[in-house]
This record gives sequence, structure tokens and C-alpha cells, in this order.
Amino acid sequence: MTLAANALAVEIGKSAPDFTATDINGKTVKLNDYKGKIVVLESYNSDCPFCNNHYKTGAMQELEKDMAAKGVVWLIVNSVNPNNPSHRTPDQAKQELADKKIVATAWIDDSSGTVGHLYDMKTTPDMYVIDKNGVLVYDGAIDNKPDPQHDPRTARNYVREAVDALMAGKPVPVAQTKPYGCSVKYAN
Amino acid sequence: MGTGSRCALLAGFFCLAVFTAHAAHTQVRLILSASTARPGDTVLASVDLKMEPDWHTYWKNPGAAGLATKIEWQLPPGVTAGEIQWPLPEKLPPAEVTTYGYDDEVVLLVPLKLAPDLKPGPLDLKAKVSWLECKEACIPGSGSVETMLNVGTETKPSADAALIESWQGKVPKSAENWSVRAGWEKPASGDTRPIIIAGSYVGAMAAEWSDKFDFFPDANDDFEIQAAIEKVSDTNSFFCFRKIVKKYSGDWPKEISGVIVAGTGNSRFGFEVKLTVSEQAPTDETVLLGSNTGETPVPLSQPLWQMLLYAFIGGLILNIMPCVLPVIALKILGFVGESRSDPRHVRKLGLVYALGVLVSFAALAAVVIGVKAAGHKAGWGMQFSSPVFVVCLTTLVTLVALNLFGVFEVTLGGRALDAAGGLASKHGAAGAFFNGVLATVLATPCTAPFLSIALGFAFAQKAPVILLMFLAVGVGLVAPYVVLSWNPAWLKFLPKPGAWMEKFKIAMGFPMLATAVWLFNLAAGSYGKSVLWLGVFLVVVAFAAWIFGEFVQRGRARKGLALVIALILLVGGYAFALENQLRWREPVKEADATGSLKESADGIDWQRWNPEAVAKARADGHPVLVDFTADWCLTCQVNKKTSIEIPSVHAKLKSLNAIALLGDYTRFPDNITAELNRFNRAGVPLVLVYPKDAAASPIVLPEILTPGIVLAALDRAAR
Repeated sequence: MTLAANALAVEIGKSAPDFTATDINGKTVKLNDYKGKIVVLESYNSDCPFCNNHYKTGAMQELEKDMAAKGVVWLIVNSVNPNNPSHRTPDQAKQELADKKIVATAWIDDSSGTVGHLYDMKTTPDMYVIDKNGVLVYDGAIDNKPDPQHDPRTARNYVREAVDALMAGKPVPVAQTKPYGCSVKYAN
Repeated sequence: MGTGSRCALLAGFFCLAVFTAHAAHTQVRLILSASTARPGDTVLASVDLKMEPDWHTYWKNPGAAGLATKIEWQLPPGVTAGEIQWPLPEKLPPAEVTTYGYDDEVVLLVPLKLAPDLKPGPLDLKAKVSWLECKEACIPGSGSVETMLNVGTETKPSADAALIESWQGKVPKSAENWSVRAGWEKPASGDTRPIIIAGSYVGAMAAEWSDKFDFFPDANDDFEIQAAIEKVSDTNSFFCFRKIVKKYSGDWPKEISGVIVAGTGNSRFGFEVKLTVSEQAPTDETVLLGSNTGETPVPLSQPLWQMLLYAFIGGLILNIMPCVLPVIALKILGFVGESRSDPRHVRKLGLVYALGVLVSFAALAAVVIGVKAAGHKAGWGMQFSSPVFVVCLTTLVTLVALNLFGVFEVTLGGRALDAAGGLASKHGAAGAFFNGVLATVLATPCTAPFLSIALGFAFAQKAPVILLMFLAVGVGLVAPYVVLSWNPAWLKFLPKPGAWMEKFKIAMGFPMLATAVWLFNLAAGSYGKSVLWLGVFLVVVAFAAWIFGEFVQRGRARKGLALVIALILLVGGYAFALENQLRWREPVKEADATGSLKESADGIDWQRWNPEAVAKARADGHPVLVDFTADWCLTCQVNKKTSIEIPSVHAKLKSLNAIALLGDYTRFPDNITAELNRFNRAGVPLVLVYPKDAAASPIVLPEILTPGIVLAALDRAAR
């Protein structure tokens, strides 16, 4: 059955599929190397007004900083294909990282869409939280306000909630939501 | 006019530089269906969004990405805005992130209700419209729009009325004359689950419809019905397709809503539906109302009271099904015995009998609920798949027969030695209760008309509904007796009590003995040739019963010795025959035979049923007859003898080059339970005829067959 094919790989409560990718500094990033730490995946495209809203308000950077202080690994996954105007070359990405003061463990150059398709990332932003044992515990929207023009600090942030619950040893209150945003600009 | 659209008018290209603040690619304006309207009128206000080529805005459910357009009204007092009426959107690529939206232009319609006491004069209508426009990138846009409406003494259409009317035609209508059903195809796999949506046009057909159908769901936070679509079959239903539902939170949805879209290009149309999601995928029978399958189709959204009524009628009919008849004999005897008692006593016994049946049905329901809770499949009559149960019941029924023959007397309730003695002992309260239990136990291998529909429904429900449905069957089963016991006058046709009763009682022992033989035959299926030892055990039990009756109950001396001998016989017979020889608790596994299951040399050449065999036979272009049956299912056996395993059907199968498949449900194989569930049945019989045309749906035959029904279905299948 073709309909359910790619949805099967990623499932809450199951091991998050491992991947090996290259970041914008040319370094190899392997998900399973981060076992023992909480990992957040962010599907990213700052030209998307939904993503951009989180960065231009500074709310995302605050969240990232907060997560970094808690020892959380934050991986940005940019799956925009090279022919799209929103694509970033490694140099442009480094510049953007600095300009926007983004705090991330790594920015994965996924212009081939491999990681995006593996996780069935639909939108930017589409967020994933993986616990210390490599189990996927959250998949979906970053918060409960699908609006490109709000202050994200006033919304219920599902990623923060999931990480806080993990740190407190409690079950993640909301494990799955419908991601909102712009479509990921995959190569055809 | 908003800054965004003005900007677009000036120079779209330069606007790219400031795209986050302004909508560069969409013009927006507010138009009205009327320039002048009367107080109390409803005017259609419309937000007209014009997108540049390749840019689009979104529907109320944007799909996997995007954002629905929003309208915030600023209206003078006395004017209230209704919901947005959304014209039919398009599915927008890419396939992996499908969205629903509009290319080029869309007119969103909003009814504005004018209060009846509105004063004449001009009204200023304002709204802030915000949207997301996308091409390769997405840009949030917004614009403030306003227009004037004159309130006067007559209604005058505006210059835009025709445009608005044309867009009104694109708004989905209500689903008149369409029968649409939705149901889960399979259990969930993780957080996704396939759903089947099927529908048919039930009115007179006006024109040729396109075969392009789709379902655009309403937005929902808890689940998403994904845009990808797979056509299943459009042979009997107008459309039938599969979608994947992805769940985010909560239970699997019980109801879905959205728009069924048909056709392509300019001839597209849509209608709104709100569908109850049933636990089974819709079949042609549930979609095509009034299909001639020999059975009234039961829409799965049938209300509970109707199902309870079916259960009640099914219970009533159970009384005359072959498996319950021996118990009827017992009951008739009971009434005759009691007709000399005072009416209050008769009523009491009627109620106790009813209690016995209802308690048994409640116990059955509890077993079903327990089996379901343990994650197994439950079915009607499933206790007969247990050889241990069959051995116990065979022994019990043999004892009941011996009891009727007068070999010994039942001591239920300790009334055997009562001075009244005789028949009263067997028709006291305990006897009546026991009759109720026995009636229920013997009723389970039968299903009656109505009952299979009701049970098919019941087995898929939650615990309280299962219990309620079972009790309804029980109430149906006891209703005639309770009514009779309340009106003993109706029993006047029976002769006066007398010596004939003793003879009648003995005569009734024979149907009971026949029941024992039938049960014995069931046990043979589990134990093979060793079933001989069950027979030996029954003889020993009968002998012990006689010693007990003759020398303990009716004897004068050495009662103790007789009792000891009876007990030694029982225990010895059990230990040797059942434990040592029969090994009754570990029946031999039935060999998994393959190939022909022919009953006799000139019988139908049955092959073992499995889904692959059906698929293969259909792929090869054969019609297929499938008989789901079980040794313990009397209805099935009767069907087979009268209507299936007969020369005319055999000849018909040969002439049509049809394949006959036998699904043996005696031991409750899971794959057959699943197949029965697919047809909303809780048990056998289920007889299906698959048409030669591999895409057509199977014909479901009724529970009780006649040769005519089978032959007609086969003829239909060959077409």
C-alpha cells in the first residue's frame, strides 16, 4: 500500500530512525551519537513566515538558549532544495546563523531532503523531540498558534513542554499535534 | 483598499523586498450582492481575492501546510455576519505536502443579516482580511476593505450580483440523494489508520457523472485525513476510495466531516457530508440502499433501539430453532405440570425461568467482554470450540435425558424427597432456573434471522452495549413463556394433568438424547476415534445414575452402599475413560488437511477457504461460493443439507466453472473471525457468492437458505 508507506518509519514511542548527515561546517552529524541526551529536530526555512515569526520575535532563540542550558541537542534541518530561492549555501547559512543569533548544536544541510523525508517532515516548522534513549516522544507543531503574526511567548509551546516533562521524569503531556506552517520545499 | 494590494498595483516586483510586511501578490476587495437592501434582508457580502499567476491562497482547511484566510468584520449595529461559505477549493501540489486552496481568484461569501429595525440610509461595512499567499515561498498578507450598503425600501442587485451568484454555484451543497458511508478498513498501525469512504447516488440519475471523486476534510486538531487517495473500486458503489487518517491526539474519530468532490475542471461539484465512522469498511450493501442481496441492508449507523429490537426478535425466533427445541419440550411439560398449581406459583416459575435465561445471557456477555478485553476475537457460540465444554455438555444432556426417562430424579433445591415428590421436584424454582440456563447454552450454536445482524452489531460495541444486546436476546427468548405464565388461561388447550404426563415426559427424553448424540458427534471432531471412550464414560455415568435412582433415591436399605458404588463407578469411569484413555483435556490437534474437502464422491468439490484462495479464484475469472460453517452450527448444517450440498447446486457450480470454498469455523480460527467481522457478523452461517467480475462486491446470502436463493445468487454471479 503506497498510502501509508512513509508514515510507518516514524512513530511516537518507537526508536527515532537514525541518520547520518552533514552540517554546514562539513562535519558529520549522526543522530545515534547523541544517545544519552535529549534531541530536538527543527525543520527550518526562515523565509517561511511561520518560521520567521519565531525568529524575528526572538522567541525561538530564547527557547534554543534555554534548551542548550539544559543540555538538549538542537538540530536544525534545512531541506529546501537548491533550486528554490529559499535555499542557503553553507556560507549563507553560517551568515544567517550569526545574524539571527541562532543557538543550535548543528545546522544540517539536507537539501537532498533525505532527513526530511525520513521523518516525514511536512512543514516549516515541524518539530521532533527524542528522549535520551533515542525514542521519539514528540512530533508536530511547535506551539498551539498556527499564525505567522503572533508573539510565540504567549502560545503553549509543545517542545518546551515535552523537554520539561522528560527532565522531570514525567510522561510527555502532548505527544503529537498537527504541524502547521509552509510546506517543506523539497526537490521534485 | 489595503496597503498590500495598492503595493501590488504599483509594482509587484519591488514588493518582494518588503514581502514580510505586505501582500504583494493578492488584491482584495469587498463586494455586495445588493447595492440597496431592506431591513430584515440578508445580503451576501463577498471578499474577492485575486492572486497573481501561480500564487494561491487557502481553503478553510489549508491541508498539510498553509493557513486559512480570515475575515474580521467591523460592522455597524444591526448588521451581523454569518460564517464564510467557501467555494470548492483545488488540491495544490506538491503531493507530499498537499494543501487545499485557490489559484487565480476566489470569492468568499458571507451572509450579512440586516436587523428588521434598521434605519434607512447608507451603512459603512468594513473588514480586515488576512491570508497567506504562496507560490514557492509564502507571504502573509492582509488588507482592510470597505464598501457601502444603502438601506432603503426595496432590494436592488448590485453590479457584482452576477459574479457573486456564479461563485455561489461553487459552494458545496448538502448531500441530497447521496448515500455516503465511512468505515475503518483495518486496525490502526501506529498513529495512522486506513479509512474507506464509499458512496452512491440514490436518486434518479440526471447525467453521466465523472468517476473522479475525492474527499476534502474539514480541519481538525486531533487528526488529519491525508490528501493522498487510492481508488478501491467503483463497480457497485459510485465511488469507493481509501484515505489515511493520521491521529495526533485522543481516540480515533467517530465522525468525520468535509466535502465530497466529484468531477474535474469546470464541471466539478461538491457536497457536504458528516459521516459516522463505523468499525468496518462500508460494503456495497451498506452503501447501496435497496440492493437485492436477499438481506435487508443495515446501515451501520442504525440506532441502538433498532438493534435491540432485532436482538429481541432474534431471541423470539431462537425458540423454534432446532437447537432449542428439546428445551421447549421440557418447558411445555413444566407448564402442564404447573397448570394445577395456583397462578401465583406459575408466574413465579415463569419469572425464575426468565431469570435463569437472563443470568446466563449476562454471563455470556461477560465472557464475550472478557475475551474482547483480553485482545482476542469473540464470536457467538464460541464455547462449542472447546472440546472440554462439549464433553461436559454431552454428559449433562445425557443426564437430563436419563432424568426424563425416570432413571433418577434431580435433587436441585433438595426437593426430590419432598412429600409432593414426583414432577414437582423438577419444576420447582431451581428446576425452572436450570431450564433457563440449559435453554441459553443450547441456543448458542444457532443463529436466527435478525439475530446475526444484531450480534454482528453487538460484538463490535463497548461493554455496556454488548450486555444490553445480549439481555435483549434473552428477553426475546423468554418472552413467550413469561407471557404464557401470566395468562395460564391460554394453556387451556392442554389436556388435564394425569398419567399421560409421565409418558410425555419420557417421550421428551428422546429429543434430548438426540441432542446428546449431536454433541457427541461434535466431540468426535476433537478426539477422533478415541471419542469411543466418551461413549464408554456416558454408559458408566448412565449406569451410576440408575444405581443412584433405583437404590439410593427409591431404595429402602443399604442406601449408603449403593451411593458408594455409584460414586466409585463415576470416579472410576472418569479416571479410566476420560482421563486415561480419552485424555479429554488435551484433545488431539486436528490435522491441517489441504486439498479437497469433498463429503462424498459425487459431492461438491470444496476447497479450504482462505483469503488468497478467494483472490486467486477471482483473478482467474471464476465465480466463488464461500460457505462459512461449523460443526456446532445447526443452522449451517441445515442450510448445507437443504440448499448447498444438493445436486442442483452442484450442477450449477460445475456449469459456471465456479470454485467452492469451505471455511470451517468449528475451532474459531482468527482469520475467519476477521472475515466474519468484515461482513458485520458475529458468527456463522455466512454464505457468500463472489461474482465472476473480480471488481464486483460479494453477494451476502441470508442466514436461512433455500435452493432458489443459492441458485439465483450463483446465476447473478456468473453475469
